[in-house]
Amino acid sequence: MLSLLSLAGVCAASIAAAGHRAPAAYALTAAALLLLAIGVAFRLPLFVPWAVAFAGADYVLTRTGGDVVDGWAAVAGAALLLSAELGFWSATDDPPLRVERPVAVRRAVTIAALVLTGLLVGFLLLGAAAITASSGVVVAAAGVAAATTSISVVLRLLR
Amino acid sequence: MTRAATSKLACYAALSAVGLLAALVSGRPELVALAAPFLLALAAGLVLAGAPRLSSVVEVADERTIEGAEVDAVIRLTAQARIDRLDVLLQLPRDVELVDGVNPVSLTLAPGEMRELPLRVGVRRWGAQTLGPLLLRATDAVGLVTWEGRADGAPPVRVYPREDVLRRVLQPRETQLFAGNEVSRRKGEGIEFADLRPWAAGDALKRVNWRASARRGELWVNESHPERNTDVVLFVDSFAEARRGGSGTLELAVRATAALVDAYVGRRDRVGLVAYGGVLRWLVPGSGLVQLYRIVDALIDTEIVLSYYWRELDVLPRRTLPPSALVIALSPLLDERSVGALLDLRARGFDLVVLDVTPVPFTERPRGLDGVAFDIWTMRRDALRHRLQEAGVAVAEWPPDGRLQETLEEVRAFRRYARLARG
Repeated sequence: MLSLLSLAGVCAASIAAAGHRAPAAYALTAAALLLLAIGVAFRLPLFVPWAVAFAGADYVLTRTGGDVVDGWAAVAGAALLLSAELGFWSATDDPPLRVERPVAVRRAVTIAALVLTGLLVGFLLLGAAAITASSGVVVAAAGVAAATTSISVVLRLLR
Repeated sequence: MTRAATSKLACYAALSAVGLLAALVSGRPELVALAAPFLLALAAGLVLAGAPRLSSVVEVADERTIEGAEVDAVIRLTAQARIDRLDVLLQLPRDVELVDGVNPVSLTLAPGEMRELPLRVGVRRWGAQTLGPLLLRATDAVGLVTWEGRADGAPPVRVYPREDVLRRVLQPRETQLFAGNEVSRRKGEGIEFADLRPWAAGDALKRVNWRASARRGELWVNESHPERNTDVVLFVDSFAEARRGGSGTLELAVRATAALVDAYVGRRDRVGLVAYGGVLRWLVPGSGLVQLYRIVDALIDTEIVLSYYWRELDVLPRRTLPPSALVIALSPLLDERSVGALLDLRARGFDLVVLDVTPVPFTERPRGLDGVAFDIWTMRRDALRHRLQEAGVAVAEWPPDGRLQETLEEVRAFRRYARLARG
């Protein structure tokens, strides 16, 4: 439920700023919420990243064309991570498996730490992007490095 | 333990990669901010993920118990390094159910911590029941990587069948040489009066019947029947069985065999066992408590093994089927090979009794044409029993809800009637 609420919050923020792209935003919001609901209800963890991707696309769509960097993107990123973490928790939960309280507490603390750290990192990135807006090469180089790292991780997993 | 990535790791990596590439293409820093938390989670998870080091052992309080009893078991886990999440599942056999305790369970272990997970299980069926293996799955703090492994379970718990108490068992026609509880038909040293005969040289004075001697004017002595032991061979047909729900003909047969062994060993008789089926097993007749345990131990390993091999009784060692032994066969009479073996035993002159552990109550009469086939099958079973009876074999049907003692009395009545008819 918290997962859905978190995702709905991001989507609501997107719709609020959608303007003339509202129909597309509504469609993406509906798809994201539906996928997450199905993933959680039927314990299908592979539906969760698609829901997050749709919500992220929804957010990006509504910001396209603006000249100003949106400071709320860090909050949106953290909310998406929270939604994904909680969604995975629900979808991979095995009912016959009794989870002891310390395990659940530890996981909740880990998620909270990740979300807060993600929020902080997001703000730092956005701040750095605003400062170094003119030096586009640095940002591009950092982006390429990060993208390459991510792809290499994916490739390693596929191997 | 085997290391594996979870679907979450792949998803986070894909989301991060897509976000960063999209940021690069579109030139929007917001996309980096959206992808950054996922990348952070990915990095944190992979950095923190360390292979779990733990040892586990499963112990049971009792390695021998009786069907229907409860057994205490404990899973001991010791971690050398921190394990953020450890899922523990002790696989239980089909006939063992959890009565108390938690299984499966997810827990966390600190470095050097030892945890004991007490369990209480109920064993519903006889047999060698093994608790285990123990399946372990450790997950890192973020849930990106898992390590799965399996550890040996506890040693098998030998569950003995619950026995009926038999007040009276079947008496063999012939007795053996050693002292026992069965009154022999022969004459000799014993307690039971048999007959009178004239005194002969060597007869003990205590055997003189003074009253008869006074009447006849010469010395007459009492003759008596000696108390002797008997040889009983229990023949368990394990070629085929009929099962329904949690019960089957083999279970009933084994339970009855255990009860019969207990009763005969208590009478100081020698008891042997032949488990005739896909796997042929036998125990040479013996007496005493050791033989009782030996037979019951052999019984709980009895199972149906599918085999098309036609095995004759000739492969049995000669001592397994001693002459003049009473052979009690417990069979559902489902397999042609076991029926043939029973007729073979009778043809060899063995005193044979067949307790037909009827499979009919374990089936349901189908409707339509199949119902006719079912009726024909039951009639063929009746004909088979009649054929055995014609061969001089005492056959009694033992329904699952019936008492073994009643069935034995039915056999006893048949044997008494058959003897009179023969005389």
